[in-house]
Parts: sequence; C-alpha cells; structure tokens
Amino acid sequence: MSEREEREIDGSRRSFLKKTLGTCLTVGAATAATGCSDGNVSGGEGWLPEQYNIPGNYPVQVRGRIPIDRGNPSITRDDRKCILCGQCAEVCEKSEAVLFNYELPLKDDIPCIHCGQCTLWCPTAAITERDEKESVLHALENENLHVVVQTAPSTRVGLGEEFGLTIGINVESRQVAALKALGFDSVLDTNFAADLTIMEEANELVKRVVGQIKAPLPQFTSCCPGWVKFCEYFYPDLLENLSSAKSPMQMQGALIKTYYAKERNLDPQKIVSVAIMPCTAKKFEAARHEFNSSAYITGYENIRDVDYVLTTRELARLIKIKNIDFNNLPSASYDPLMSEYSGAGAIFGVTGGVMEAAVRTGYYMLTEQRPPDALFNLTPVRGLQGVKEAVLQIPNVGELRVAVVTGMANSREVLKRVRNGDAPWHFIEFMACYGGCISGGGQPRSALPPSDAVRAARINSLYTADEKSVKRLSHENDEILEMYKIYLGEPGGELAHKLLHTHYIDRSMHLTAKKALA
Amino acid sequence: MSKGVLVDLTKCIGCGSCYVACKLYNENKWSDKAPVNGKAAKLADENWTVVKEYNISRDNCNALRFVKKQCFHCEHPSCASACFTSALRKTEEGVIVYRSNLCVGCRYCMVACPFEIPKFEWGKAFPVVTKCMMCYFRVINNEKPSCVSVCPTQVMQYGDRDELLVEAKLRIDSNSAYIKHIYGENEAGGTNWLYLSDVPFAQLGFKTDISDKPAAAYTSRYMSLTPILGAAWGLVLTGIYFINKYRKKNAAEKQMKANDSEGGNNA
Ligand code: SF4
Ligand code: SF4
Ligand code: SF4
Ligand code: SF4
Ligand code: SF4
Repeated sequence: MSEREEREIDGSRRSFLKKTLGTCLTVGAATAATGCSDGNVSGGEGWLPEQYNIPGNYPVQVRGRIPIDRGNPSITRDDRKCILCGQCAEVCEKSEAVLFNYELPLKDDIPCIHCGQCTLWCPTAAITERDEKESVLHALENENLHVVVQTAPSTRVGLGEEFGLTIGINVESRQVAALKALGFDSVLDTNFAADLTIMEEANELVKRVVGQIKAPLPQFTSCCPGWVKFCEYFYPDLLENLSSAKSPMQMQGALIKTYYAKERNLDPQKIVSVAIMPCTAKKFEAARHEFNSSAYITGYENIRDVDYVLTTRELARLIKIKNIDFNNLPSASYDPLMSEYSGAGAIFGVTGGVMEAAVRTGYYMLTEQRPPDALFNLTPVRGLQGVKEAVLQIPNVGELRVAVVTGMANSREVLKRVRNGDAPWHFIEFMACYGGCISGGGQPRSALPPSDAVRAARINSLYTADEKSVKRLSHENDEILEMYKIYLGEPGGELAHKLLHTHYIDRSMHLTAKKALA
Repeated sequence: MSKGVLVDLTKCIGCGSCYVACKLYNENKWSDKAPVNGKAAKLADENWTVVKEYNISRDNCNALRFVKKQCFHCEHPSCASACFTSALRKTEEGVIVYRSNLCVGCRYCMVACPFEIPKFEWGKAFPVVTKCMMCYFRVINNEKPSCVSVCPTQVMQYGDRDELLVEAKLRIDSNSAYIKHIYGENEAGGTNWLYLSDVPFAQLGFKTDISDKPAAAYTSRYMSLTPILGAAWGLVLTGIYFINKYRKKNAAEKQMKANDSEGGNNA
C-alpha cells in the first residue's frame, strides 16, 4: 500500500474519500490489479498495457450517478470531483422519485425537479448549485441600482452552521446585519409574503370548500417549486388541484417592483430583486417565464419579479469573500413595509408548517373566530414522518381533513388516491425536500450526510420562533392588512390575482412516466 | 472468441458515469481543451471515451440523445495493421491494446483507423498514441470494462461478440422503435463494440460511409508510400528489436493472455 499512499499524497478530498469508501475492497483489488503480491505483472508479462502495471486507485464500489443537463438552472457538477459513489442517484430515485421514474428512451429533457437534494448527498461536493453570487456582487457595485433582498423563513436557521455555530441556531438579526454589510439597499423578509400566501391560499381553500370557485378538492399547496414541477411532470391531470397562489418568494418579488417601488418612489427598472433561499429549485422558479407580473403591471416589459436567487450556501460564501466577521455582527432589523411576519409565516420552512399556518387562518375565515389552542400546536402535522394527517372540527362547517407530505417519493401513494377519487382530504401540503425547506437543497452541508438530528434542530428553532411571536396568525399581520387596504384590495381580488396568482404548465410530454407508479 | 460490448443508445441518459469511470480506472487526466460531454464532446489523448449530446428530431418531436464513443475494437483493426512495430495489436479476446514503449510515434494508426480513434499526446514532451483499451486487465480477469460496469441504466452489455449479435437482433426484431441496423456488425469488417439506436446512425455522428471490407487489407499502402520510413529506419530497427524481445518472452510465457503470434497482421 505504500506506493498507493504516495500517489495520493495530494490529499485531495476525492482521493481521501475514494480511499475510505472502499478501503478493504480496494486493498484487495489493488493487490490483485498490480500483481504486487508476487512481484509479477499478472495476466501475462509483456502485453499488458503498462498503465495497468502500476497500482490503481480505482474505487471498487462504483455506482452510476444522476444525469445533469448542462442547461439546468439550479444545479451543476464538477466531474473532476466525482467518485462515482452513486449517492446522488440514490436520493434522486428513492427520496425524490424522479430518476428512473420515467421510461427510456428520454424524450427531449433530462427530468429534474431541481430540489438539490443531490447537492446535499454528494460527498465530494461535485454537485453544487449554479453559482450566481458574481452577478449579485456586480449589481451591488452599481450605484445606480437599488438592490433589494428577501430572506426565506429557513435560511436563518441554517446559515449559522456555515460559521461554526450550533446547528439550528436562529441567526435572523445577524443575517440581516450581514446583508446590510454586503451593501444591499433594503433587506425584506419573505416571511411577510408567507403570511400573504396564507391569506390568498386559505381564501382559495375556503372558496373551494364552500363551492364558491369551481376547482377540485383536495387543494394542493403550491409554494414548493420542486413539488410543482414534479406535479407538472407526473400528474398533469391534477394541476387543477394546485392552489393558484404563487410561492412566497414570487409574491414578494412581484410586490417589490410594484407596491414597494411605488411606496418608496423608486423606478422599477432600477430595482434588482435578490432572494436568499434554502432551495436550489427557487433558481428554476425565478426563471419560469410567467413570473414577470411586475412587468405586466408596470409596463416595463423586460423586468423580472426575482432577478437572482442565492442559496444559503452562496450567501455564506459571499459573507466569507467579503471578510465579514459574521459571529460578531451587531444585530440589525429588517426594513419596514414588507417584513413584518406572524408565527404562522415563520413556520413555512417546516414540513407541516404551511398546513398549520393555513388552517389557523382558514379557521378564522370560515368561522370569524379565533382558532382554538390546538391549532397553535397542531401536533399531528408536526414531525418528520413522510405522510401526516389531521382532522379538524370547524363549527358550522364540519370536518376539515388535511394531509402533509414530505419527500416526493412519499407523494405517490397519496396522489394515486387523489387520482382514483378516494382521497378523503380537503387540503394537502407537499414539500419536495424531506423535512421541508429547512433541509432544502441550498442549505449548508454538514460534515455528515443529511440527518434527522440536523433537521429536528432546525425545525425546533422555527417552532420556537412561532411560539415567541406576539402574533401567530397571518391575518393579524398589520403590514399585510395595510397593503390590502391601500394597494391590493381584497384577498383573491382582481389585482391580487394579477400579482399573486399563477398558472401551471403540463410537462408530461417531456417524459414517459412509468406506468407502475401512476 | 472475441469479447465485445453491445451499446443500446436508447437507454442512455447522458449521466457520464462511464467517462468518469474510464478516467478513474485508466488514470487519465481531465482535459480543459476537450470536453467529455455536451455537443462539443470529443475524443482526445486524455479522453478515451466521451458522451456526446445530440438534439434531433424523431417522429416530428424533439429528442435528446447521447452517444458514448470510444474505440470500436475492430475485428480486423487497421490501426494494428498499419503499426509496423506492433505497438498496437489485437489480443485473443479481440481487444486492441497498445504498448507505448514500442510506439515510434509515426501515427500511421491515426491515419489508418476509419473511426478516427487513436489520439496523439500533442501536449507532451515524449508523446505517444492513446485510445480505449477496453480495460484489458478487467477483461482478462472476467470482469466487465469499467464504463460498462458503472452505467446506471445498463446501456452496455458485455459478452461474447457472437452472443451479443444474437441479442441485438432479438432486440431490433422485437421492438419496432429500433433502427434495423446493428452498427458494427459489418462496418470495417465488423467491430466488437456494437450499437443499437432508435434514430438513424447518421444523425448521431456515426460514419455511414465505412466499407464493410476490413480496411486492414489496404493499410500496407500507408507504409510503403511514406518517405519517413527511410528516415526513421533506426527507429524501426529499435521497434523490431523490441518486438523480438517480447515475442521471445511471450512464447515462453504459458499464461500469456494476448495472442502474440497473430500480431496485428491478421487481415
Ligand atoms: S435536483 Fe433533485 S430531482 Fe434534480 S437531480 Fe438532484 S435530486 Fe434529482
Ligand atoms: S454523489 Fe457526487 S460523487 Fe457521488 S456519484 Fe453523485 S456526483 Fe459523483
Ligand atoms: S481501427 Fe480504430 S476503431 Fe478499430 S480498433 Fe483500431 S483504433 Fe479502434
Ligand atoms: S472500456 Fe475501459 S478504457 Fe475503454 S472506454 Fe470503457 S472504461 Fe475506458
Ligand atoms: S453511464 Fe450509461 S447512461 Fe450514463 S452516459 Fe454512460 S452510457 Fe449513458
């Protein structure tokens, strides 16, 4: 083995992993391959091509990996770092139900829902998000531009890990301080739009339940772009079930270049809208061509609602590049107008969180009463199980049945029942990433593979934020109520529809879904 | 009995596991100049195999296809016929191997190969010719070549060429989606790597003007026509010296796997 070790003296992570992954097997194989046990070249002296006469460091347990389209807006791969461990393929197939869930040959696309779970599982970080921090730095340097940033509910409980802090620690105010230090002109909170999403989505649910709008039940949540694309690929017949409400990021983005620009007297064309997300699929979402409502409203054709999405990891890199001493930053607070949030908005990043937030406000909308205490700690939809269910009694309305699904592989059974018409639920929350956005594909990578302990720590941190909030109901958010009053009108109203709602695209022609899975 | 690989292009998802396996197994460096994937993928001295992307039209729909390229391992390898030092030669398993210390750098093989497979290490001080050697060490140990073993969708099947041909015929007969042609069955007199596809091979960058006659029959021409031969006589002698040396050694070697006596001149 001494020769082998010498050859790997570069100590790269790849060779280290190659060595540790298949140590025992490799030793045997290397010995056999080199024939060094008896000093002879095995396989006939003389005609063995000489590169086989030297000890190889080929990992013995090689497994195939996921394909990545070179044009994938969310993820990319450095082949040089790949050790063919097959982890990416495993998570994509087993947990996200994408890889091998379609028949071959391919059609015109390499199916991917951009969830980025593969970036978390890849042990060598060969797979990463498509890095856009340079573009953001560029925008920040341009003094003519007003660069607005929004931060998702989950990044605040992940970012600290990049700076050696306790897993799950909530670094909300330090994150704001870091963004200000980086030069963003305004720091807004996506939690605000999470509350807004609830206003629109709960309103839609109530209308579906009482039959005011003709759309099927159960209603599906639509805030996870990975799930939305999954549904578009594999369940185009159920797109009507998807809530037409945009995701919080896209609502916030649409409002930044309209409402915010108006209130702040800014030229929408000079605003650059950046989003810090725990998610790689958000890069894909921001690039969906239909997400330019602000262009539609303002008449400036070329503007986009969200210009750049950075993952939590990219933000950490930005902070490090700029030598900002994150751990010693003084706390700072979000800029007003679009940053207030309730505890309900705070838990959007957790599996079951959107559901819990929605039923709190849905209850209020149906009964005009404050929801009972049980809805402030809706234990049946909390936790890391793949599928969770709850039945709520709504006075004068009856039962409201809800389900929560995390990890797309867990969605198949539920969706099968919806397809067959034997689904008892009124409302189902889907999140592509197991555990919710707190373990999204853009969150920090710990030294170990993604684990439930890490997920639970981040989840608890968000539930604590909810508990500590004075307001825990989306419909009590004053900035939101004010915005409806002076700008949007009614939830589900005309302008709200133009800015905050969307439509979906049947993508089933891009793949042949496996019949057995339907 | 020739070993071969049946490549069913309809199953390829373009993941590139095969070229990574090839790089790792053969310890070839990554090249900045020659991409291993995408539309510009090209074989190079360090890329023994690449996966090239094609956007084509099939039944009036856009289709994305990938083609894994490497040496075809010809039944009658013109590269080996052209090589007068027998640096390139065919083993009894049908693998075309290459031994760099016999190579004099004449590059006749590169001219002779109908598929433009052998590449020259232009960037090196002491350049040699390189190409896929079908993971020869694995082959003689009854293992699949690295690229074959790692493919997640089993695009490639490794086995005896005769059996692979039977399997290939079965597949194209039982599924109308396939083009009714096994690329490599007759091309250049037959190759050990065989391809199936559901779009015309011409659209996937396969040469369709390749004669069914083994090109090796003509290759003596390359040698007699070249004036370099005279100038390089010294090198040739060196080559012959090596050949003889290895022939003697090999003759004594009972366990010898490669078929030495056939050399490259088995046309
Ligand atoms: S981003 Fe998600 S869907 Fe795409 S390859 Fe990675 S794991 Fe699979
Ligand atoms: S997880 Fe990373 S290292 Fe492992 S096969 Fe996939 S890309 Fe390669
Ligand atoms: S002639 Fe070309 S394709 Fe055939 S064995 Fe030689 S290098 Fe390979
Ligand atoms: S057979 Fe071996 S040398 Fe040839 S392309 Fe495959 S991995 Fe590379
Ligand atoms: S490993 Fe298989 S599926 Fe992947 S590119 Fe190579 S041949 Fe295609």
